[in-house]
Formats: sequence, structure tokens, C-alpha cells
Amino acid sequence: MADIRFAAMLASLRALLVPFAVALILAGIVLIVIGENPLAIFGLLAEESFGSARRIASTLSSATPLLFTAVATAICFRAGVFNVGVEGAFLVGGLAAVFVAFALPAGLGITLIPLALVAAMAAGAIWLWFPGWLLARFEVDEVVSTLMLNFIAAAITGYLVNGPLLSASAGNNMTPAIHDAAHLPRLMPPSTLHAGFLIGIAVMVLYGLWCRYTPAGVEGGLVGLNRRFARAMGISVSGTMITVMCLSGAIAGLGGASHGLGQLFRFSDAFSPGYGFTGMAVALLGRNHPVGMIVGAVLFGALASAGTTIQLFSSVPLDLVDIIQGLVMIFAVMELALPRLRRRRHA
Amino acid sequence: MLEQILAASIVLTTPILLAAMGGLVNRQSGIVNIGLEAKILAGALVAVIVSSATGSWLLASLAALAVGAVIGWLFALTITRGNANMIVAGLGLNVLVAGAIGFILSWQYGTSGTLRLPDVALLPHVLPAAVAEIPVLGRMLAALDPLTVLAWASVAALPFVLADTRFGLRLRATGNAPQVARALGLDARRIQEATTAIAGGFSGLAGAHLALTSIGLFNEGLSGGRGFIALAAFYFGRDRPWPTAMVCLMFGFLDATQIRLQTAGLPPKLIGMIPYAMVLAALILASVRNKKRKAA
Repeated sequence: MADIRFAAMLASLRALLVPFAVALILAGIVLIVIGENPLAIFGLLAEESFGSARRIASTLSSATPLLFTAVATAICFRAGVFNVGVEGAFLVGGLAAVFVAFALPAGLGITLIPLALVAAMAAGAIWLWFPGWLLARFEVDEVVSTLMLNFIAAAITGYLVNGPLLSASAGNNMTPAIHDAAHLPRLMPPSTLHAGFLIGIAVMVLYGLWCRYTPAGVEGGLVGLNRRFARAMGISVSGTMITVMCLSGAIAGLGGASHGLGQLFRFSDAFSPGYGFTGMAVALLGRNHPVGMIVGAVLFGALASAGTTIQLFSSVPLDLVDIIQGLVMIFAVMELALPRLRRRRHA
Repeated sequence: MLEQILAASIVLTTPILLAAMGGLVNRQSGIVNIGLEAKILAGALVAVIVSSATGSWLLASLAALAVGAVIGWLFALTITRGNANMIVAGLGLNVLVAGAIGFILSWQYGTSGTLRLPDVALLPHVLPAAVAEIPVLGRMLAALDPLTVLAWASVAALPFVLADTRFGLRLRATGNAPQVARALGLDARRIQEATTAIAGGFSGLAGAHLALTSIGLFNEGLSGGRGFIALAAFYFGRDRPWPTAMVCLMFGFLDATQIRLQTAGLPPKLIGMIPYAMVLAALILASVRNKKRKAA
């Protein structure tokens, strides 16, 4: 038993590290081409992301939104629902939370925080309920519907912050700042690491427990493994689809709330630089497993936070981070030659 | 004013139309190409660089075509040989190519975001300027460039190619009836690699058109989601060339009238939402209809 579990852990660790390693090797080749020493650059990256308590805090701060978007993606992927709309739910939830936190009277004090979090979760859940319902009821392809809803979310929130919700004082593209009482507390000032990180870790843990110990969670996994078998066992497949989509939306919305109340304190056009998609890469890397996803989120957080310094201390453009992220996404879903060779030898 | 709108609509339709025709062929063979955006952007960058270096719009367009096709082919390999999920790989490709372009811009040209090069040769007009005198259609005819002509020629040719040529039949069998394709002994992977390269080449041309029509420079935001709008067009047009082309024309018209709609008080962000909302609506309608047919 322990042996099996150890082997499984080893396999998922390899699944996590191989795509990342391949992406780093390719990025290293790019660095050699432009005449930089890849080992020096990667050393600098590691130093800048984990070299001191302050840097670790900044890495974890960058990883925070990814914890939410990764779980939001994983909860659907493991049920076989191909939801790519986490980005949209993150935006909608973020705006809902920020709206509650600046529009309600400041006198509410810290009760603003739970109100904002609930509003964000509700907004996100409703946002993804719609494509979930369409999928369950009419078999509307969820990939395309959620992809389109991302653009629609960006357009609607973009319209709101440039029009009705535009701040009177701050110029353009942003809402007024939220009340001070609604700020999530900072964990390690002066770093921007905030309580949202702890919420994210809690969400990860709850997700792990949900998958393993709740009927809905187990059913979600079964639907993902074999839809027909799940149906034959009496599981409502369409009910499960709608459930995981709503949960995904609620978690993504909560992530938007954490980002709005903990990091930016307002909503702007550039609220998310693609956290939903990076979260997808994290979920794929971590194979929907909480521990794997935390490691993946921290790795991507490290890339994002060290990427800016790399540009300061060397002539390497920041875009290297995007190159690595894109490669990781592609390699995470590819069956790399290594595992395939092994399977053939067994046969 | 009508003349101006017509001319602008045609020019703005071209990049969407080119990418949509490539994506349509790709999807007929069974691959949903989310990475069109990446190839448009790469095509635009290469077109500007080659046009500036050689002073030839033709060489620039061919280079854009080649780069798009190569990226498309490599992308196809991850799906056909690596069994990658095409949606995630496509999204990853968009991130990767955008990153690579930004990287090249700052490393090679020391700029970020925008690349201005001297002596960029723009696309010529096909017809003599005198046609502009013709009432109503004149301005539109005068604005025609070679890539626009090519785009519409491909719309006219595709129904025939897909229905009546060996390649067309084989690629449709690969996408619509994989078991038939297998029974015929077709190499589905080769066919999908070829169509993805075609989609890439067309998208590269779309990029060349964007960059070489009037501005003659490259910008990171140049493609502006047109890869996804093209995707919307062939989903809405159900992979049929003429209906898809009509949808592209409508999106081009929307693009051309956007500034006027804005002055009429419609917020630009909401206008930009229309293509995506339309696809959602079309998708829902098609699925509801399917469901009813199955129930009946």
C-alpha cells in the first residue's frame, strides 16, 4: 500500500517537473542564442525568488491568485468538464468584490470583507453556472462557450470601469479605491503578501478534502473518469457538471476578490494579466492534485516575481517568463517521450 | 459616407477572412485552432521586417505565409505526435509566441511593444486609381489589394476544393468520419498537420495584411483578438466558406463603423463584445436544434 502510494507520488512529481524542466531547457537554449549564460540567469532567477524572506514573500504574493485559478480549473478538469472560463469569472468576481468594498458605506468596517467575498463568489458562480447549465441541458460545447464568455467578461468589466463605475479622481480605466477597512491584512509588511494567500491555501486544502471525502467530490471524479459508468451507477452527470462549474466560478470569483481587496485595492482594465490561463497551466502541471498545484503555483509565482528583477540586473527581456509559461502549458499536455517508452517496454 | 464605409469594411474584413478560411479548413479536418492569434501576430512582425529589408510587399507576404505555416506545423506536431490537448496547446502557443515576439523586439531592436522600421513597402492597389470615379463601389474597388483579392478568391475556391478534390475529401473524412478515413488507409496525422500548416499560412498572411495595409509598423496589440474573431466566424458559419465569409464581412463592417457608433453614444467596449456574444448565441441555437432533432 505504502509502496503504491509512493510510486504514485513519484509519478505525479515527475509529471510536475518534466514539463517545467523541458521548458527551462528550451529557454536556456534561447538564452545561449542571445549570448547569455543560462545557468547564471536561472541562478539569478532562483536567488531573486527564494533568496531571502522578503523575496519568498514576494514570490508567494505572486502565487496567490494562481492558487485560486488553479483550483477553479482543476475542479472542472477532474470531472471531465473543459472549462477555460476561469479568467472571466476571476474578473467578474474581482469587480463584484471591489464594488461592494467601495460602494457600501465605510462605516460597516471589517464586515465589508465577508460581504465582498460572498458577493464575489456569488458573481463568479452565476457567471459559470450559465455555460454549465447550457452544457448539461443542451450539450453546448463548454470550451467555446467559456472562451467566448472570457471576452464578454473582459468587455463588460472594461465598459463598467470606463463608464458607470469610473473613478472621478483617478483618471481613466479604474474604479475608486476601496475603503481602508476592506483591505485584507498584510502578512509580512513591507511585502505585498496578504491574507488572500492563506485563503488560497485553505481553498486548496478544502478542495483536497472535497475530492476525497464528500459524495459530490467523489462523484465529480467518477464522472471525469467514465461518464457512462457514472451514469450507470446512478450519478446525475448533468447535476455534477453544473455543480463543478458553479464551484469553479465561486472559487475563481473568490480569487478575484482576494486580488482586489489584498493587492490592487481597486479594479482596473489590467486587473488580471491572464491569471486564469496561468492557473490552467498550474492545474495541468499539478495534475489536479492540491500539493502539485501549490508547487506549480509557487513556481509560476517565482517566475513572475523574479522576472521583473531579471530585467533590471541583466539584458534578458522580461518576456522570457512568457516564453517559459507558454512552453510549460504546451509540454504539460503533451505525452512526452519518456513515459511512453516505459509503457511500451512493459507491454 | 457609404462609399467610405464600404471601402473600410472590405479592407478590415480581409485579415479576419484570411484567418477564418485557414481555421475553417483546419476544423474540417478535426482540429479546432485556438492559436490563430499567435500566427497572425508572428506574420505581422515578419512582414514588417522583410518589407523593410527588401522593399517588396510580395516577399514580405511570402515570408509571413512561411512563418505562419511553420509555426502551424510545429503546433500540429504537439497535437498529432504528442497527443497534446489542442485547446490548452493553442492557448499555450498564444502565450509563447507573444512572449517570443516581445523578447525579439527588446533583444534585437531595443524597443518594447512597437517596431518602426524605415522604408516599409505597403500593399499596392490592384486596380488603377481611376476606378474610384465609379459611383458607390468605386472607392471600394480602388482600395482592393492583392491579399484581399486572394482572400475572396480562396472563399470562391474552397467549396470546390473541399467537395471535389482528393485533398478536400480526404481532409473532410479525417475530421468528420475518422473511422472512414482509417478504413481508407489515410494517414490522419499527416492530413491534420497539413491543414494546420495551411491555417498557419493563412493567418500569417492575415498578419501581413494588418501590418502592410496602411500603417506599415508592428505593434504587439495589432492582431487585437482577430484570431478569436475568425474562430467565431467559422463557428458561426458552421465551417462553410460562403456563410463564414459573410460573417467575416459583418465583423469587418462592425469594425469599420465602430468609430461612428461610438460617436453615436455606444461604448466601444460593448461593440467589441458583439462577435463573441454572437458566437455564444449561435452555439446555443445550434445545440438546442440538435437536441430537438434527437428527441424527435
